[in-house]
Amino acid sequence: MRKMTAKIIMVGLIVLSASAAFAHSPLCSCFDNGDGTVLCEGGFSDGSSASGVRIFVKSESEEVLSKGTMNESSEFEFKKPEGAYTVTFDGGEGHSIVIDGSDIVE
Amino acid sequence: MKFKVVFLNLLAIVAFAIPAFAHFQMVYTPEIAVNKGDQTQLKLVFTHPFEAGHTMDMGVPEEFYMLHQKGEEGKTKKVDLKSYLKPITWKSLTNSGKAYEANLPKKIVRSMGDYTLVLVPAPYFESEEDVYIQQITKTYMNVGGMPGNWSVPAGLKTEWIPLVKPYAMWTGMTFKAQLLSSGKPVPNADVEVEYMNHAPEMKKNGFAKKANSEAPQDAFVTMGIKTDAQGYIEFAVPKAGWWGFCALGSGPDKEFKGKELSQDAVIWLKAVDMK
Ligand SMILES: [Cu+2]
Repeated sequence: MRKMTAKIIMVGLIVLSASAAFAHSPLCSCFDNGDGTVLCEGGFSDGSSASGVRIFVKSESEEVLSKGTMNESSEFEFKKPEGAYTVTFDGGEGHSIVIDGSDIVE
Repeated sequence: MKFKVVFLNLLAIVAFAIPAFAHFQMVYTPEIAVNKGDQTQLKLVFTHPFEAGHTMDMGVPEEFYMLHQKGEEGKTKKVDLKSYLKPITWKSLTNSGKAYEANLPKKIVRSMGDYTLVLVPAPYFESEEDVYIQQITKTYMNVGGMPGNWSVPAGLKTEWIPLVKPYAMWTGMTFKAQLLSSGKPVPNADVEVEYMNHAPEMKKNGFAKKANSEAPQDAFVTMGIKTDAQGYIEFAVPKAGWWGFCALGSGPDKEFKGKELSQDAVIWLKAVDMK
């Protein structure tokens, strides 16, 4: 019984600290490298890393063209799609950013 | 006889007036907090900012680089900027002096995060005082609002460590910083503070004629503050624009070419009005 309480408290703590970590805004910025690739970098306004944050590259019809996660240096590189596209930085509920491909320039 | 006294008096006034306006090494660019990184032009000028007065000739800088860091856990990247330096002539309201500009291409300033610009100028010989002056200067830039290494020492001989982001100041906020010499706090140091009272004009390489503010007396041109026992200063910023802080002779090097050297630490901040 004692152990169980401890466990519950621990879970509570984890949830609390996790939500505290989200008391900041997500940041994502992408550049056209000019060689057929696009580089996106992410992070949070408190300086915390975006490493592991999911990234989706979607076509106009919402078809996922490529996906992955931000690497150790909070970056994700992909091949530039042919037509119109968007990049979604999926930092969790309320912490997602969608960038229009037309705003991604050299 | 009376004449002579008046003349001597005048001399005394002139002699006293000179040290009232402090030297400040500027590393200037109009916008230091931008949403997107873009090509950036910097002006390196050694002058007297409040009066837009006498501009001194700069020698070839010993060091000029930036420390970029994206996120607090990111790695600090050092980028040498010496190859971007180009000599220019800067016009003050009273003369012209040798200065430098640097055009940083977008590819090196496009990434989010903090950029600490570090300038170690060549010591300047001030003949009137028979001393050399070397003002090691830091100016900060930020792209995209992502913090990085703004509060981390750059490891300079003498430097200011800000405790408030120098690129995110509203007018009226209190700026706090610690003065270091060889990495150790400097208590009770003399610090000069000046407001950049005439806007630098990037295209004209000179100061605007129009002053933003008027000083009621010389002590307001160059304000004096002192570091506390732990080397800290606090300064509530009364007006939007650029403010420079210079710690006099705080560096470990005291001599250059057989003459006295004042190795100073300079930091700049920019305050913006709330709208
Ligand atoms: Cu001077």
